[in-house]
Amino acid sequence: MDWTAFIPLYLTASVEWVEAFTIVLAVSLTIGWGASLGAAAAGLGTLAALTAITGSALSLGLDLHVIQFVIGVFLLLFGARWLAKSVARQAGLKALHDEAVEFQQTRAKIRKADWFAAWLVAYKGMLLEGLEVWLIVVAFSLHSRAWASNGLTAVLALVVVFVAGLSLHAPLTRVPENTIKFVVGAMILSFGTYWTLEAMAGDVWPLGDWSLAMLAAFYLVGGQALVPLVRQAHRAAA
Amino acid sequence: MKAFIKTLFGDIWNIAGVALMIAIGAGLMAVHRADLAVFAMPVAGLGVVAVLARH
Repeated sequence: MDWTAFIPLYLTASVEWVEAFTIVLAVSLTIGWGASLGAAAAGLGTLAALTAITGSALSLGLDLHVIQFVIGVFLLLFGARWLAKSVARQAGLKALHDEAVEFQQTRAKIRKADWFAAWLVAYKGMLLEGLEVWLIVVAFSLHSRAWASNGLTAVLALVVVFVAGLSLHAPLTRVPENTIKFVVGAMILSFGTYWTLEAMAGDVWPLGDWSLAMLAAFYLVGGQALVPLVRQAHRAAA
Repeated sequence: MKAFIKTLFGDIWNIAGVALMIAIGAGLMAVHRADLAVFAMPVAGLGVVAVLARH
């Protein structure tokens, strides 16, 4: 079990599955639960196949430092994006993600769609929302080789979200998605910074693995400090 | 495919920002100051987040 990866992986997956559930729920009102969940399962199957293929391909014969560098870069890209998006939302530059609005938009989109088009919306929704989960599972698993436990963590998040959603029979609007994205963005960016520099320079982090906690604290506090600065800069430019 | 690529790489600002972070780390390594990269890279990372948040 890769415990270092558990929290960022579980939180990332939860946020993405909440968004996927909203789409699946909206589609279920048009084509029924069976077909809608079938489309979600097909999307999940595609993601599982993608994980298996990329995992086997990337594990073959590549130098560990190269793998670590590539993973680090992808985590930097992903973490910076999520943290920035969350800062922009907190600063009021971007609208907060609202599952109720997302639900209405998906409903409107498939109102006149036929069965297959609606099925595709659920399939595509699951696949696209799951791509970021796939990226994180592959990144952490290539590093720790804990493919099974990391995959199971993502599935655990899926089960929790879908069971909660199915029992409420409504979009999960109370999940604090932006706060979770902020925390996960900071954590992922920390892993990206740590691994990228370690791959390039070797064992340079003064506190070893504890440097990860310091990095996370730095990005969390720094990200929060950026909110008023970004807001001010935006107002001054407007 | 477009969504797939965007998920992997983000937009041009995202890529440029991360490239800058890595260039700073690599530059400090080149002058044998990897010890400074430990501080410079996270600061650059936060700068990248600020720029991305405004775009």
